Amino acid sequence: MIPRTDLPDRFLPYDEGGQPQVPIEGYANTVRRNPSRPPFRRPVTRTELTGPLDLTAKLRPGDDNLALSPEGRPAMGQLIHIAGQVLDEDGRPVRHAIVEIWQANAAGRYRNPLDRRDAPLDPDFIGNGRALTDGEGRYAFFTIRPGAYPVPDSGRWWRPPHVHFSVLGPGSLSRLVTQMYFPGDPLNARDRLLNALPDPEARARLVAQAVPTEEVEGEWLAYRHAMVLRGRHATPPLP
Amino acid sequence: MARPNAPMPATGWHTIGPFFPRSFFQEGDNDLTRLSAEAAPTARGVPILLHGHVLEEGGGPCVNAVLEAWQADAAGRFRHPLDPHWREADPDFLGWGRAWTDAAGHYSFRTVMPGGFADGAATRAPHVNLGILGSGIMRRLVTTVFFPEQEAANAADPVLGALPDAALRARLVAKEEAPADGLRRFRFDLLLRGDAASETPFFLD
Repeated sequence: MIPRTDLPDRFLPYDEGGQPQVPIEGYANTVRRNPSRPPFRRPVTRTELTGPLDLTAKLRPGDDNLALSPEGRPAMGQLIHIAGQVLDEDGRPVRHAIVEIWQANAAGRYRNPLDRRDAPLDPDFIGNGRALTDGEGRYAFFTIRPGAYPVPDSGRWWRPPHVHFSVLGPGSLSRLVTQMYFPGDPLNARDRLLNALPDPEARARLVAQAVPTEEVEGEWLAYRHAMVLRGRHATPPLP
Repeated sequence: MARPNAPMPATGWHTIGPFFPRSFFQEGDNDLTRLSAEAAPTARGVPILLHGHVLEEGGGPCVNAVLEAWQADAAGRFRHPLDPHWREADPDFLGWGRAWTDAAGHYSFRTVMPGGFADGAATRAPHVNLGILGSGIMRRLVTTVFFPEQEAANAADPVLGALPDAALRARLVAKEEAPADGLRRFRFDLLLRGDAASETPFFLD
């Protein structure tokens, strides 16, 4: 018999239909790196519920414009703005969450020594940034629209344009790593990562919404993208 | 299917992929004992090094995996409002760190020996929670590291006790090595996929 904690169950197990199922065809690491045994259930105690309240001295935010190089030169590609809210499962804004993004350049290549594709690198595009959500849980980045790229040794599977997101919220159990897709891209429907989520509504929630151009005040295309971290009543006030 | 009374379904997870930026890592990110790279390490507690290898099926190194650690301070407290004793928590101890595996799959964290704590009816043994991210890991893998000198506390720990047999529980206890550079050293290797006897037990996140 597992003793119960006196803390409320703020974090219920995930709905499996809304989470990726493995293995994924053509992605060998989804076999080699995922346990053969189902995970064990554990009681949720204080360590799992809590997390660092302020990581800004360690993971410094403020790098929210990927579209300009450190020297101020514009990156090649379609200038875009991605903005949205980070919420908990009750729809409350998650304040002071750290949001990290990284992505390929306009030609579909990452500035990473492990990306050995021969597509061009853009000297003015590094491709990663980090921001902090404000009091309303809002984040925003300027960047360029990433290109698609073929996955090696996968039978001509192409990754659609996507932006990687890593969100550090108020507790260990509210951690989220995900990817954002672009609306209307024909590669979305065939993407094996996006399709690893069985629930079509869950897949749709990973696709950003385009903001009508009439509503955008500058010369960029704008997207809205909300993310929901696990947990209810999970945004504790700062002491 | 939405959960009862939960109006917003949690966003679906994806892998970090093979290209998590190296530039996200700064000096000291894997040091839990300081609030920032420039800050002095906490003066409280016994400094330790927790390190090991992350291996994939077949025993090869899991390169470019990201490990995130979270633990209580030396007295078993968290600087978080859900800890009733948060005011007494060590103000110089962050308790969180992020490490990256090298070409051999090796990672390391500098931290202090965590304290145990009472939590309702349960008593938690000193432990470090680990989250593992990597290419092909579509959802974070989570596990917990315990310490070999804490036999009695480990036997009473409700999370370690959630594992069905002694052999699995032993897999989550780090091995102490000879000290180096003034630090007690503990080794914890992770095998992400293998036979039942050698695969690391992971918990439902």
